[in-house]
Amino acid sequence: MFGQSMKMAFGAILSNKMRSFLTMLGIIIGVFSLVVLVSLVTSATGSVQAQISEIGSDMLSVNIFTDQGKPIKAADLAEISENEHIGKVAPAGTVYVTAKFERDSADVTVYGTTASYFEIQNLKIAEGRTLRGFDLENHTYVAVVDANVAETLFPGKSAVGKGLSLNGTRFEIVGVLESNDSFSGMMMGWNTVVVPFTTAQRTFSGFGSIRSFYATAASSEDVDAAEAYLREYLTARYGTEDTFNIFNMNILAATMDQVMAVFSLLFGGIAAISLLVGGIGIMNIMLVSVTERTREIGIRKAIGARRSSIMSQFLIEALALSLVGCAIGIALSGLTVLIFNIAARSSEMLSQVSVGLSPTVVIVAVCFSTAIGLLFGLYPANKAAKMRPIDALRYE
Amino acid sequence: MIRINDVCKTYIMGEEIVRALDHASLHIAEGEFVGVVGPSGSGKSTLMNIIGCLDMADSGEYLLDGQRIEHYSENELAQIRNKKIGFIFQNFNLLAKMTAAENIELPLVYQRVGQKDRRERVAQALERVGLTDRKTHKPTELSGGQQQRVAVARAIATNPSLLLADEPTGNLDSRTGEEIMRLFEDLNREGNTVVLITHDEKVAARTGRTVRIFDGRIEEGV
Repeated sequence: MFGQSMKMAFGAILSNKMRSFLTMLGIIIGVFSLVVLVSLVTSATGSVQAQISEIGSDMLSVNIFTDQGKPIKAADLAEISENEHIGKVAPAGTVYVTAKFERDSADVTVYGTTASYFEIQNLKIAEGRTLRGFDLENHTYVAVVDANVAETLFPGKSAVGKGLSLNGTRFEIVGVLESNDSFSGMMMGWNTVVVPFTTAQRTFSGFGSIRSFYATAASSEDVDAAEAYLREYLTARYGTEDTFNIFNMNILAATMDQVMAVFSLLFGGIAAISLLVGGIGIMNIMLVSVTERTREIGIRKAIGARRSSIMSQFLIEALALSLVGCAIGIALSGLTVLIFNIAARSSEMLSQVSVGLSPTVVIVAVCFSTAIGLLFGLYPANKAAKMRPIDALRYE
Repeated sequence: MIRINDVCKTYIMGEEIVRALDHASLHIAEGEFVGVVGPSGSGKSTLMNIIGCLDMADSGEYLLDGQRIEHYSENELAQIRNKKIGFIFQNFNLLAKMTAAENIELPLVYQRVGQKDRRERVAQALERVGLTDRKTHKPTELSGGQQQRVAVARAIATNPSLLLADEPTGNLDSRTGEEIMRLFEDLNREGNTVVLITHDEKVAARTGRTVRIFDGRIEEGV
């Protein structure tokens, strides 16, 4: 009986191919947008989270707005780093200057910091060395530049050992950073030059005292304790919490999660609406189909079809329309994702992004399509099943 | 076999009340070949619908094979139509998208007969009406006479108690009409009860007994 109903349902769908396809289109587009959009958001979340954890979610960044005449000194940072919850500490001041080499120049961000900074920020050296303790003690005029600066000012040549003029002061380049297109690279910006903090204080007017510094927690379990310690230390120093701000990477990760969840919901909602519209399309065409086949229904009833037989025939037809549409939509999504991944691999920006079909959303799409087929097939199928045989037979 | 006692049926057509059957009574024994004849609007079709369990009488009683029909549910009526009655309509009423064999098979599908058994009975029915070579043809590929023979095959495939034919020759030329009539005569001779509804006296004359219906009243013949 069920097999017979299936056969009849597919027969009806195939006998009206164009109409069936147009009816399915609503479901196809709905499922396609649902699966692709949610898969994109899910993959983007995954890749952003991976990059955040690459920076190290145990990193804390501290900004001091006003130091009330009690500036943080190198000795204070040393004291902070003594705490059991704190791993490494590095000051970070920034100035924006023009870097010059011969006739080439570039606008760069100068970070004045210590050797620990490289470890905290997970910066890798491609060539040469990082800053060392004696650079800070002796205020040496050395600089580590990023790959961008090296490429701009010394195209095709090694930058290490070359002289670089920052706002007219000559620095010797001792190291070049690995090019970094990760999230932390984005946070730092491109065109950066890292110099010893003590040298920067002497050289650049307005650099002043330590206004911000980075710290790592001793371990990832210590992040909250480290943050509490810093808060306590700075509050004790300034008497209020309003003069500083501590930024915890965990918060960034959590916020990112929230933003992505909202996007997922938003896209999913839009796609759900188009699925709903597709369902209405199915109902519409099923109603047409029931009217067109009134006589057929009459004949079937006259020769002994029960209500349930007629009902299941039309319900299966509606379900088949929505599920075939769903299958086409998922296949199309898979194809799109495949093409996207191939395209992304050859693009510099997206080379790290790889989108996979989210299994959850595929299951959701199938369930949703089933529900829509049943929901919107029910009314027309019931209408067909309720017809009185003599009325249906008389229908012209 | 069929016992109709004092049956009334009225329709409301716009503002007019039509008495389609007016205290009609009819008795048909098993194995009879009865022609119900009357002009259009006489209540023939209403009688056919009630005998065929497609419609219910307003009052009176109808017994088919000793069972009172009035109080059955819609699904039970569907089962009775399926098992006890074979319909043959004026306009054949075959499903256009199905082949001859599939059309004949359909009532057996609703009876939940197994596939192997179905195929056998379809083959038998096709052979009985002489259309074995046309079983994969669709109704549109068959002549009127052939289509009506497929309809007869569909009606006899379930071995019903009663063959109920409504103007079966009405859409056929006289030669093919004659073929169909001969088929009914043969089926009756084989023991089938046949009720044939017509407005054509000549067709009615071929039956074993003629029942006349006029203005919703039945005059039973002998």
